Amino acid sequence: MKEPTITILGLGNILMSDEGVGVHTVNEFERRYEVPDYVEIVDGGAAGLDLIPFIEGREKVMMVDAVNFDREPGYIDLLENDSIPIRLTQKASMHHLGLMDVLCIVRMSGNVPKDLCIIGIQPKSLELGLDMTPEIWDKKDVLIERIVAKLREWNIPCVLRSPQK
Amino acid sequence: MRSVENALQLEIPLNAQYIRNLIMAAHGVHDHIVHFYHLAALDWVDIVSALKADPKKASQLGESLSNWDQNSTKHMKEVQDRLGTFVKSGQLGIYANGYWGHKAMKLPPEVNLLAAAHYLQALHYQRRINMVVSILGSKTPNIQNLAVGGVANAINPENQSALNMERLYYIKTLIDEVQSFVRNAMLVDVAAVAALYADWTGYGKGVTNYLSAPDMPMDTKGTTFALPGGYIENADLSTFKPIKSFNDEFFKNGVKESVKHSWYKGDWNKHPWEESTDPNHTGMQYDGKYSWVKAPTFNGKTAQVGPLANVLCMYAAGHAGTKKYVTDMLNTISAVAKTKVGPAALHSTIGRIGARAVRCAVLLDECTNQWNALVANIGKGDVKTFNAPKFPSGEIKGVGFHEAPRGILSHWSVIDNGKIKNYQCVVPSTWNAAPRNGSDQPGPYEASLIGTPLADPEKPLEVLRTVHSFDPCLACAIHMVDAKGKDIITVKAL
Repeated sequence: MKEPTITILGLGNILMSDEGVGVHTVNEFERRYEVPDYVEIVDGGAAGLDLIPFIEGREKVMMVDAVNFDREPGYIDLLENDSIPIRLTQKASMHHLGLMDVLCIVRMSGNVPKDLCIIGIQPKSLELGLDMTPEIWDKKDVLIERIVAKLREWNIPCVLRSPQK
Repeated sequence: MRSVENALQLEIPLNAQYIRNLIMAAHGVHDHIVHFYHLAALDWVDIVSALKADPKKASQLGESLSNWDQNSTKHMKEVQDRLGTFVKSGQLGIYANGYWGHKAMKLPPEVNLLAAAHYLQALHYQRRINMVVSILGSKTPNIQNLAVGGVANAINPENQSALNMERLYYIKTLIDEVQSFVRNAMLVDVAAVAALYADWTGYGKGVTNYLSAPDMPMDTKGTTFALPGGYIENADLSTFKPIKSFNDEFFKNGVKESVKHSWYKGDWNKHPWEESTDPNHTGMQYDGKYSWVKAPTFNGKTAQVGPLANVLCMYAAGHAGTKKYVTDMLNTISAVAKTKVGPAALHSTIGRIGARAVRCAVLLDECTNQWNALVANIGKGDVKTFNAPKFPSGEIKGVGFHEAPRGILSHWSVIDNGKIKNYQCVVPSTWNAAPRNGSDQPGPYEASLIGTPLADPEKPLEVLRTVHSFDPCLACAIHMVDAKGKDIITVKAL
C-alpha cells in the first residue's frame, strides 16, 4: 500500500459535547463518502504529538475542529494556511500539547504540508457529556459540504456511497 | 486492575508482570522525554536567542559534554536555518504572546541552539519508545491488553500473530535506540539547564514529605519490586520507610482524603474505602471550598509525589542505578556551574526537573531488565499470561498502587457479591494540586509558589516554571483553537 498523501483530520474531545464536533463530522463524512486510497481519514481525538505523523510530510491536510471565532454558536468558517494562528502557547494544561503547538512544531521541523486548512465551527456547549447540542449537530450537513467542496478544489474525487440496506 | 486483584488476592503470571512492567517503564520514559523537551523546556530555553548562536561553538560545546553523534556543526547550522525560517514566517504571535525574550531567560545562545536541536530530535525518540507501549498494549496511552488476572497478550515464539521473538527483538532495538538519546542528550541538557539556572535550586521547594510506590513486581504475588518506594518525612532521607508489598499495612492505613476545601458534600476526612464523591459546587470561597481536587494526606500530613519523591526514595533505599545517575548529574551540574551542588539542591523546582531525567534513565535500564526477564522466562517454556479471577460472595476490599509518571497512583475498591460497591482513585496530581487539607495545610503546588520572585508580574513565567515542574495532569482539558490566537487560559494568583 502506498503512503497516504492527504489527511482529513477530525479533532476534539468527544467527552465534552460540542468539543467533539470535528471527530463526529469526519466519522459521518466517512459513512457517507468514499475517497481514494491516498486520502486518510483520521479520528485525531485530543491527541497532541501523536498527530505529527499524520501532518508532517503530507501534501495537504484538512482539519475539522471546534474553533472560537467569537461568533454565534454554529458559525462556520475556514482558516487556511497563513490565516491559521500557528504559535507555541504557554498554558496551564500541559498534559497534551494543543493543535497550534503541534502545527508549530511541524513547521519548526520544516515539513509543513503545502495546503493546510481548518474547517471550524463555533461550539455552543463545552460541558461534560457525550451528546452534542442539537444546534451544532444540525450543522453536520453544512460541515460535510465544506469538506466535499474543499476536496473538489484540491481535485480529489469523492463519491457518495450507495445507501446501506 | 491491581486494586481488584488485591481484593481477590489473585496471583499474576510472571510473563504478565514483566509485560506490564515493560509497558509501565516505556510509558514513563515517553512521558518524561515529552515533559522535559516539549512541555517544560521552553520555560527555560529561548528559541529566538538560538538564532544568534555560532553553530560551530554550539557543536563544540555539545561534543565537550557527551558523545552524542547528532551535535555536528552541519546539523546545528541546519537547525538554526529552520528556526530562522520559522521565526521569519511572520505570522507568529510569539513575541507578543509568548515568554520568549523574557528577562528571566538566561541561557547563552549556543546552549539555546543545542537544546533546540535536541527538542526536535526528541520528537523522533518519544515516538520510538511509545511504539513499545503500542506493540505490547495495542494502543497508547489507553492500553487495551490489561485484564484482571494478567494480560491479553498471547505468547508464541513461533506464531506471527502472537507476541513472538521478532516483535520482542524489535522492542529491544527501540529501547536501545532511545537509551543512547537519553544518556547522551537528555541527561546532559537537563544538567546544563540546572547548572545555568542554579538559583532555581533555591525556589519551589514546597512540601518536603515525599511519598512514592515501589513498582515493577518481580514475583507473582507482588512482594519483591525492582524499584523501591516508600515515605520520607521533612526532606530527611534517614527517615525513609519502605512500602514492602501490595498488602503493605503502612501504606494501606496511611491514606486519607479531606473535602473541607473541595466542592463535595460534607466536611470530612476519610479513608478511601469509606469515601464518597458527591459534587457540590458552591462557587469560589477562598476560605471555604475552592477546588474540585480533594486533599489527600499520608498519616495526617500532606505529601509531595512524582519523580522527585520516587528518586529520593530509591536513593534512600540504596537503589544502585538511581545513586549512579543522581551522582553523575550532580557532578555535571557542579562542573558546569563551577560550584559544588549537593543532593540538598534536589528539594526545588530544578530538582523536580532533574529527578525526572534521572528517573527516565532508571526506567530505560528497567526496560532492558524487564525485557531480559521476560525473554528468559519464555525461554524456560512458560507462556502463561493470565489467571482467571473468581469473585466470591460477600464483601471484599482491595487497594492497588502504581508509580505513574506523575507519582503514586492508588485505586481503592469495595466489591460486594462480585459487583463494585465503591471505587475511589487517589491520583498523583490530586496529591500535588491539593487545596488546603482538613487542618488547613497547603498542598505541594500552593506551598511551592510561596517566595517565587517575578521579573515581570504581567508575564509570570516563574510561576509556570514551578507549576510545570510538577507535570500537572489536566488531560481532559479543552483543546480548542482560538481564531485570533488569544491565550484562553490566564494565571490567577490567589
